[in-house]
Amino acid sequence: MGYIELNLLDNAPRRVVVGIDLGTTNSLAAVWRDGRAEVLRVEGEPALVPSVVNVRPDGSLVVGRAARALALEDPEHTVFSVKRFMGRGLADLDVDLENTPFRVTETDSKLVQIHLRGRVFTPQELSALILRAVVQQAGRALDGAEIASAVITVPAYFDDAQRQATRDAARLAGLEVLRIVNEPTAASLAYGLDQRKEGTVVVFDLGGGTFDVSILSIEDGVFQVLSTNGDTHLGGDDFDRTLIAFARRELADQVNASVFGTPLFQQAARLAAEKCKIQLSSAPLAELVLQLPELGVHLRRIVTREEFQALIEPLVERTLACCRRALDDAGLETSAVDEVVLVGGSTRVPYVRERVAAAFGRTPHTALDPDQVVALGAAAQAEVLMGGRRDILLLDVTPLSLGIETVGGAVAKLIQRNSSVPCSVKEGFTTYVDNQTGIDFHVVQGERELARDCRTLGRFQLKGIPPMPAGMPRVGVKFHIDADGMLVVTAKEESTGTTASIEVRPMHGLTDKEVDRMLEESYARAREDFDERRRVDLVAEIGTMLRHTQANLDTARRRLDRETYDDLVEAIEAAAEAQGSTDLDVVQRARDGLDRASIPLAAVLMDDVVKFAVSGKKLSEI
Amino acid sequence: MSATHPMSVSEGVAVPHACTTCGAGLETPLACGDCGMMIQPEVDVSPFAVVGLEPSYQLDERDLAQRVRKVARLVHPDFFAGAGPTMRALAEAHGARLNDAHEVLKNDVRRADWLVRHRGGPSEEQDRQMPPAFLMEVLEWNEALEEGAAAPAGSAARVALGALEEELNALRQAELDKIESALTPLPDAGSPALAEVRRTLNAVRYLDRALRRLRDLRVGQPQ
Repeated sequence: MGYIELNLLDNAPRRVVVGIDLGTTNSLAAVWRDGRAEVLRVEGEPALVPSVVNVRPDGSLVVGRAARALALEDPEHTVFSVKRFMGRGLADLDVDLENTPFRVTETDSKLVQIHLRGRVFTPQELSALILRAVVQQAGRALDGAEIASAVITVPAYFDDAQRQATRDAARLAGLEVLRIVNEPTAASLAYGLDQRKEGTVVVFDLGGGTFDVSILSIEDGVFQVLSTNGDTHLGGDDFDRTLIAFARRELADQVNASVFGTPLFQQAARLAAEKCKIQLSSAPLAELVLQLPELGVHLRRIVTREEFQALIEPLVERTLACCRRALDDAGLETSAVDEVVLVGGSTRVPYVRERVAAAFGRTPHTALDPDQVVALGAAAQAEVLMGGRRDILLLDVTPLSLGIETVGGAVAKLIQRNSSVPCSVKEGFTTYVDNQTGIDFHVVQGERELARDCRTLGRFQLKGIPPMPAGMPRVGVKFHIDADGMLVVTAKEESTGTTASIEVRPMHGLTDKEVDRMLEESYARAREDFDERRRVDLVAEIGTMLRHTQANLDTARRRLDRETYDDLVEAIEAAAEAQGSTDLDVVQRARDGLDRASIPLAAVLMDDVVKFAVSGKKLSEI
Repeated sequence: MSATHPMSVSEGVAVPHACTTCGAGLETPLACGDCGMMIQPEVDVSPFAVVGLEPSYQLDERDLAQRVRKVARLVHPDFFAGAGPTMRALAEAHGARLNDAHEVLKNDVRRADWLVRHRGGPSEEQDRQMPPAFLMEVLEWNEALEEGAAAPAGSAARVALGALEEELNALRQAELDKIESALTPLPDAGSPALAEVRRTLNAVRYLDRALRRLRDLRVGQPQ
């Protein structure tokens, strides 16, 4: 069972643990039920929640499909691909800010801020909104079950700051994170459970914004990652961008270049490019259509698969270079690989499949839905963590080497990339001057030799070292990478046994205080959001009720007594008026009034239905 | 030379041999395979003891992998996600111990290094020498490496690196074979054979650095 039955009362909300794939383009949740993982979707609705947020003129927030639909109407206030901003500063964003339709700045602590209608959002907050939407959909799919904790997936190549940002987003969404799991590893779990095969498997995961390749050995139900490689800024978005650049070249003679900087052009070009790319996956050619009369843009251009292939070739080559490095780190030749599993929407591109097949000398496994497999694996891992399955176990690795900056700016590596996690290493520090009570050190992640070429994980400050002559203190610092792939640092002065305290200045991240403050704000706002949501639902309900009663007003006049009829007409008028109100109470009262006043009419109509149905039938047939 | 015998850590009484909870015999000092309880050993446990092995250079890779999986099923944090903070912390620590032991054991160089140090032989810091005959060739290889690295892809100097990589790989295997015969059976504590193994290990470390360089030139620099 994927959930804990906290209460045996039938009407108590069930507490469920879900697996969530928080993607660049789309997000979704899955749950373990009846011995298998299944995607959570509401009947008649798509499973995928677009990872898109829009801020309305009144400040209310729209997430998912509704937000995506507003991209062209309201381009400046619609945020896509927020995952690319997670745990990054402006300098290392690698996002084409000139072609980003909203304003992006950064704080002193290199935390990215996105400006929308006078409000400032961190990527963590926007991701939290997406998580909330996913959880809400999952809750509806589970008949109102309460979802309090989740396994959330991240790209395997995410560094510490990016993982921390994801965890903070979940906290802001009110979710307990049971485990952060790497996307390709989760996918391998879904694959392994589905195929019941063991051996050496390569997971090639090309998503909307990130690329990972992981090499695993599956044996005795243990999914052991041998090596991983990737690029957290390489995905379908980049494929789209090559088509956007192509469109701009085609339009160069037709319009002024300033058109390309408008939010409308940017969003429209993005959507047109994406559409063309998707069509090219099933047809040899597709039309790139970009019609924006208000900007004087009229583009209809047939794009062939060959043209598209030429555009994305350098990007595909980058993914293959990552594969070669991963194989090399695992110490394997391609001949040792038993299966290549494709994951992520961008692996639908035929050219990607072709190149992967050629690189590994085998047809890749494509039987799993590339959009769903990660969430399904996360749900299976949730089941393991809940104690439901002890027969499977994921053993993952840390994707990047961890080191500290030494004198002269070089990096002393403490933990090598592709080390199995959890792992620990102890490093001794001492003082340079007499009575020195603090030591600073700079922890970095990456493979380069110089600290400035690696990613800063944090600047740590050891405090509370007892005053002693220089070189006497022996501070043992333990660097521990936990099962979530995140760093925990502890320190102890060994000659006296004093526990030295450590202060961390997070890079591109939120402090605990900031998360707490945001949480408080979000509770206050959640109340407002909830009220607004309720009001919108009620207005919609009033609409339905009005249509129904007005259609039967004739019947009402003929069949109801005068007073009841007048009451109904009065309630209809009040309800029609309340539809335009922004006050939840007014709307609620009007809806309840109409509901009450229409009961006699409903009774009459029901009576007719029953009479009609039974007329001409014997009592025994009813 | 150090007179201590750290081997006693795994051979002596410090390592628990029976589960403190149910009394069952232990295959690993980290947890009981019978009742599933994790155990907090009071001393640093040798990497061999972690997976229930006696110290030895020769090792069956498949058997090692199986042992690691078996212990992982007892101590991995995934199986304690619902437990209290103390158990979760212990699972993190044990998981790290197991992974570190695996890293040491599966790697020929690290395994040999551990055995030399724990038999009382010199550490890398204490003896940085390489076998004299080896040292003569190092200069030659360095020169070829520098020349090839500076040369453009496809040039003769660059192509020659392929042959060099092959040569060094073969040499590395030969050095490891020497280490294997020197460490089988394990020499007595403090035996001069340990210093000899240390020097051969230093040569292997040089080869590993050179081979890494050659690999990076061939595969492309990691990011």
